[in-house]
Amino acid sequence: MELVRVDTQRAYQQIRQQIIELTLPPGAPIDEQALAAELDLGPTPVREALRLLAHDELVTVTPHHGLYVSTVGPDELAQFSELRLTLEGLAARLAAQRATADDLAVLDALCQALPQIPAEESDRLLEVDGRFHQAIAQAAHNRYLARTLNHYLGQSQRLWHLAQPQLSFLPAAVEEHLALTVAISAGEAERAERLMRAHVQEFYDRVHHILNHAA
Amino acid sequence: MTERVDGPAPGAASGGLVLGIDTGGTYTDGVLLDYGARTVLATHKSLTTKRDFSLGIEAVIEGIAIPDAAAVKMVSISTTLATNAIAEGKGKRVALLLVGYDPDLIKTFKMGRRFATPHYFYFAGGHDLYGREKEPLDLAAVLAKVNELKNQVDAIAISAYFSPLNPEHENRLFEAVSRVCDLPIVLGHQLSTKLGSVERATTAALNASLLAVLQDFVVAVRRAMERRQIDAPLMVVRGDGTLMSDDFAARTPVETIHSGPAASAIGGRFLSGLDDALVIDIGGTTTDIALVQDGQVAVSEEGARVGDYKTAVRAANLLSIALGGDSHLHLDRQREVRVGPERVVPLAYLAQQYPQVRERLFTLSRRTWTQSAPDWLEYWFLLRQVPADSATARALSVSERALLNVLAEGPLPLPEIREQLGLMYTAQLGAEELLRQELIGKAGLTPTDLLHVEGRHTLWDAEAAGLALEILGRFLFREPEEIRDHVWAEMTRAIVRATVIFLSGKKLADSELDMGYWFFDNSLTQAHPHLETQFHLRCPIIGIGAPAAVFLPAVAEALHTELILPPHHQVANAVGAIAGSVMVADEILIYPRLTQEGLEVLGYYVQSSNARHEYEELDDALAHARALSQERALGAAVRAGADNPEVIVEESSDGLDTYRVRARALGSPRLAH
Repeated sequence: MELVRVDTQRAYQQIRQQIIELTLPPGAPIDEQALAAELDLGPTPVREALRLLAHDELVTVTPHHGLYVSTVGPDELAQFSELRLTLEGLAARLAAQRATADDLAVLDALCQALPQIPAEESDRLLEVDGRFHQAIAQAAHNRYLARTLNHYLGQSQRLWHLAQPQLSFLPAAVEEHLALTVAISAGEAERAERLMRAHVQEFYDRVHHILNHAA
Repeated sequence: MTERVDGPAPGAASGGLVLGIDTGGTYTDGVLLDYGARTVLATHKSLTTKRDFSLGIEAVIEGIAIPDAAAVKMVSISTTLATNAIAEGKGKRVALLLVGYDPDLIKTFKMGRRFATPHYFYFAGGHDLYGREKEPLDLAAVLAKVNELKNQVDAIAISAYFSPLNPEHENRLFEAVSRVCDLPIVLGHQLSTKLGSVERATTAALNASLLAVLQDFVVAVRRAMERRQIDAPLMVVRGDGTLMSDDFAARTPVETIHSGPAASAIGGRFLSGLDDALVIDIGGTTTDIALVQDGQVAVSEEGARVGDYKTAVRAANLLSIALGGDSHLHLDRQREVRVGPERVVPLAYLAQQYPQVRERLFTLSRRTWTQSAPDWLEYWFLLRQVPADSATARALSVSERALLNVLAEGPLPLPEIREQLGLMYTAQLGAEELLRQELIGKAGLTPTDLLHVEGRHTLWDAEAAGLALEILGRFLFREPEEIRDHVWAEMTRAIVRATVIFLSGKKLADSELDMGYWFFDNSLTQAHPHLETQFHLRCPIIGIGAPAAVFLPAVAEALHTELILPPHHQVANAVGAIAGSVMVADEILIYPRLTQEGLEVLGYYVQSSNARHEYEELDDALAHARALSQERALGAAVRAGADNPEVIVEESSDGLDTYRVRARALGSPRLAH
């Protein structure tokens, strides 16, 4: 086990968490040395981790101004929601056509886990919600699609945190997950895609609304 | 066994330095070796820190004389970390998912306690003896259980019935469970291809509980290497003496069980050049016995046992007894001097560190008989200060605090500690936790002290050791020489007894009426006027460890064989950590595909750890398995850091038309450039 690899992994996870949870807010400059000191890790793993995060589009590198946390403006939000609407919809459609019994068992288990989590534990709700979307992407059995969606997971989780003070996890969302699972189980591709698009669209409408009001 | 573990090829990377480290119960040894020339360049000993093994290892890496860190091409470690963590219950919390196991059977035979975790659960599924699905897998039930448990455990172990023949259920569970939680998941079939379902479950559970422990350890060692600017591959010794990469070790920590004694045996063989010998390693805490046959450490076919658990891990066949240079010499109820099993710090060492101990012993030696009770020879002392506002300090109880305060001024004999705290019995001190955390230590009379009295060791305070022996002698109305002779005879007896039991595989009754016991006893005493009995060991003994030169001549004599003490035998264990070969084994099972009624053979399955192929004819299946296992072992060995590995393929039958093809790829470790 390469020490650098282990430490890079640790640095990546910790910095990613800080960006997603907005401890490092959008647009904030990144001081590599200060980060290394704070995380008690060497400069090399931190640099490696930041490079990975730039690949995830959570960190932006500029030639003259160094590193900063990627910003999220109305434009980015709009473009990002277009992409996710299409891809998540496709994932739901394919999942309805291709999901195995094991895939369905996983979706079922995640669906059942949601209502058991108290509403105030938003981090746990977010975690299970993320897993649900990943599980649908897996059930689509298209590895490029799954990889692309996974790539943008961090970005959507950050949006969720941005909107989170106003955006509580609605009981309606639990219903939506359930309805999606039912549609996928029944092999109703059209319906699954429609439900997923509506689910994602609703999220973006809310985030959009909240961000506009904040601005 | 057909293969040989060879030392480094002549001329291979001459001038390349390698660093071997062994963590024993008392000392952590380091040795810097010129790999090509097979010469020891530097050695280093530091105390083993049981609370955190990496501290002792860092001390060795930082303390050993290395002329040029860039010239170090490999670091290799044998560690008792896994064995200790299991014995002390320090592993992480594991949920064990048993698929297709029969709960009634497990209950009836009380096998549940052998699973190495209290959290085990049964689910429908599993396969039969012919790899056919016994019952559909109840995935929903497993996932519901995982959801319920995922915040209460640190890792998940999965073992399905007959998974080595058909790992389908384990693989499916891995896929599904990893989508609902991030906990590390261990699969039984990846650790063992043996069919014993209980051992496989135990092995999976132990492995899961040790993952984080070994990973932290590897990272700590890597950090220490980095601080000394050593940029080289890191290897870890397996329980059978072969080497694996640190990456592999972090994934399969169970494989490190017994790695210390195995390294001793490999080191003894390497330094002596003998291919057949009994290796006896006397350390401070234990004496370990292992056998080298045809240049290899003899391996237990049964699977390693550790603590109360029986595993499916391939490891050296060895016997370990709690007897060493620092074993506590104490009196039993008949006032007979006993050696061990507890290990203490020798009084000669304590007196060297704290001169007041010698003065106290001197005063005591001038007192009356009643005050020379042996309790006065047991000292307790502070091993390290507890920082006032640390978490450790906050966790102390009132009585623990009181004990630490009493010892703040320096070591004290046990009766005085009791008196100062107003206690009648030692048990009332409640010191277990302080001893376990190595905040306080115990010192007493040990074989090491007697060696100082005899002048055979001169490192520490021989006068203090002499006074202590004199006091004990006065209490027992015996001459000091008489006590010494008794202790030496006891140690010889214990080691010979262990050797005979180890090699014969028989029990030795403790009854004087028993013929076996009489035969053994008479072989040491030759007390019988007419009958002479003796054991004759057919191979020489290789002595390892600092006290070996002192204690083993009598053992060799009692067993009528030769004792060989190779140069640097004191650190042979650390030499063994680097002298082993990198090994990767791959096993493939071949078994018939039957019709549903089981009456007709339709073909043969070739099952590797991740794929299954089917053949009509057995010969084709076997040929494919041979080629496949060879290729897989070779590839894995190269990835694990073996240089030009050689592959040996062996075939065996399990009965019932089931066969096993096992490929072992062995090669010298590839040194860094």
